[in-house]
Amino acid sequence: MKGDIFINKLKEKITIKDIYRMPEEQITITVDRSDLPETVRMLYYDMGGWLVTMIPNDERPLNGNFVLYYTLSMEGGKMSPDDELPAEDKCWMTVKVYIPANDPTYPSVTRLVPAAVWYEREAYDMLGVVAEGLPDPRRLVVSDDWPDGLYPMRKDSMEYNFRPDPYAHEDEPDYKFNHPEGGGLVDVPLGPLHITSDEPGHFRLYCEGDQIIDADYRLFYQHRGMEKLAENRMNYDQMGYLAERVCGICGYAHATACIEAAERAVDMEVPRRAQALRIINQEIERLHSHMLNIGLACEVTGNINAFMHIFRIREFSMELAQLISGGRKTYGNVVVGGMRRDINGKGIKRGLELLETMETQLREVWDAVMDDESQVDRWKGVGILDKQVARDFSAVGPNVRGSGIKRDTRYDHPYDFHDEIDFEVCYEEGGDVFARETVRYRELLQSISIIRQCFELMPTGDIVAPQNKIIVPQAYALANNEAPRGENIHWIMHGGAQKVYRWRCRAATYNNWPSLRFQFRNNTIADAALIVCSMDPCYSCTDRVTVVDVKSKKSKILTHSDLKRYSQTLKNSPLRGM
Amino acid sequence: MKLLDMTRKYGNATYEYPFAPYDVADGFRGKPEYDYDKCIGCTACGVACPSNAINVELNEAKDKLVWKFDCGRCIYCGRCDEVCPTNAVMLGSNFETAVRFNKEDLTESAELELECCQNCGKKFTTKRLIAYCIENFKKVGWSESVIQEKTKYIKTCPVCKKADSVELVSKHFSKGVKK
Ligand code: SF4
Ligand code: SF4
Repeated sequence: MKGDIFINKLKEKITIKDIYRMPEEQITITVDRSDLPETVRMLYYDMGGWLVTMIPNDERPLNGNFVLYYTLSMEGGKMSPDDELPAEDKCWMTVKVYIPANDPTYPSVTRLVPAAVWYEREAYDMLGVVAEGLPDPRRLVVSDDWPDGLYPMRKDSMEYNFRPDPYAHEDEPDYKFNHPEGGGLVDVPLGPLHITSDEPGHFRLYCEGDQIIDADYRLFYQHRGMEKLAENRMNYDQMGYLAERVCGICGYAHATACIEAAERAVDMEVPRRAQALRIINQEIERLHSHMLNIGLACEVTGNINAFMHIFRIREFSMELAQLISGGRKTYGNVVVGGMRRDINGKGIKRGLELLETMETQLREVWDAVMDDESQVDRWKGVGILDKQVARDFSAVGPNVRGSGIKRDTRYDHPYDFHDEIDFEVCYEEGGDVFARETVRYRELLQSISIIRQCFELMPTGDIVAPQNKIIVPQAYALANNEAPRGENIHWIMHGGAQKVYRWRCRAATYNNWPSLRFQFRNNTIADAALIVCSMDPCYSCTDRVTVVDVKSKKSKILTHSDLKRYSQTLKNSPLRGM
Repeated sequence: MKLLDMTRKYGNATYEYPFAPYDVADGFRGKPEYDYDKCIGCTACGVACPSNAINVELNEAKDKLVWKFDCGRCIYCGRCDEVCPTNAVMLGSNFETAVRFNKEDLTESAELELECCQNCGKKFTTKRLIAYCIENFKKVGWSESVIQEKTKYIKTCPVCKKADSVELVSKHFSKGVKK
């Protein structure tokens, strides 16, 4: 059976208490909490696993324990071309540990597998389970003035009577940024709000002159408590629409992943036609998202002309979205069991025309951008994500593929209609902005070809499965899909009354943030915006930046235009004289 | 240079909008349009709406049923359109939903008359819903007496219905006990 090779190898060192398979390729093994770090490490480094998500779950109402599920995608280390598992061995391994409610601690996995760092920080914030020995135990998700002892994802925590008072405004604690050792560093805060994408995030760049030595960042300013919301009051008819709102760009991927997790947990078959439609929608999303990103990567380096052209072409993808889904974004289409909107022959014909136009014009524009030496120079060698760092932190999407790692969940764990579709996993060596943008460009052409194949192979039949499945309480499963930014993982445990007991949503960028710090190092401040942009977290340049020299206590405010001018010309540093 | 050539080749890409209307694709999902005359106040849309954009509730005085729509909450999913039995709410093609300064302008509401329960006289559902049901009874082809019985049934409020059936059941039950 699938996963047996891993289980047998683990058994040599570790006692496995229980094995659960549902669906077949998702295997959950239960181990003792003292064995947890070693089990995850063996799966990760010895057997070629990648940490895809960790689900902290409050199962006290069910069995009196907190439970952690560390989920790994077994696909091979991929550090060299032959370092990959054969397709029939690829599967998901979940390590499950029970943590007694009266002693909510467990040994930290992060010391052995750095990729777990954010997950363990979040587990503390949300559930109050302490990872002992976690190198970075700061808060991650909840705000700095969040009361101690209140853990939102505990099932009993949000009762109004028990809620501690929030801090008074003037006593609000500050977030501790990790300041590197040594003096003479200039501390450059970027944030709190990035203008064009409305996405709040605060970055601290520690610089020596122009050079970034290290960086730290504080995110989650806009944590919306969606998981809790879904648990409390949503049914599956509504959840898809909520999951969509996780992201403004790749919302469709989230909705599908969320719904598919619910479907897989009860082994529900989705009609082939609906599967093909899901893929089409997803690839449309990739089209407009990648064009947006390549466009912005040109824009932050001052190439407005290319940016405009790419956005002009992007408009065709929005038209395609309108055709398929009735909105400029592909929202509001997935339901449990299938899709809500079908496509007819006329739509397919128009769709094919649009794809044709997009393909020709994309090739043209990319050609022109590649011809532009100064543009290519700004991308090359900047923001390098080292292959080993990418491996250690389980990076995803074009970010990891730009570092020469052939990792794509459509290829590793094919879902929906992907078993009938030919496509090439695009990856590039180099790890710099240039490599990432090239990956994106090549993926655009792949997406066009995938949509074409779907149109051509479009199966006939219904688009919604017959409603004959009953939700089984406590059945759980995860669903994966490759969003434009990388793999999205949703995990659902069903509850009673056709509702969800626990929904864990892990967006692609969650796995990319922790390694960003390494991408910043040894680049100039002028490239900071570009680096973040090439990682594609919907980032834009900041409104303004205060530069403080810690030593001389001088400060100076740089405006958006100062910073932009400097990032375009690299002349007359606004920091000169500090 | 190549980019400039492209600019010349493709010319002006900007739409005239807002100076000329912008045509949306067929089947575009725009703002839900409400047709008061068709609405029977069945509340299906309010139940289906995932984001609580539509609420169908009694007003404070409990003498009218109010259909309320808040465009600011709407996600254009079209669930309301799907479930409405009379097509009173349907997605249109209007995408210009912004308002200036006053959030109240985003909302729409309509009041529907209520019918009284024939037993207790309390108001409980809309007149139109009852009329709609009766109309549909006629289409089924039942005999006049059946229609009459059913009409009586739907004109009773849930509370009285419950009391009625309890009475009925207990009657049967006590009969059973006697024998
Ligand atoms: S379109 Fe969807 S969100 Fe908007 S009113 Fe209808 S059901 Fe509610
Ligand atoms: S579903 Fe239609 S008829 Fe019923 S309340 Fe809504 S708009 Fe009115």
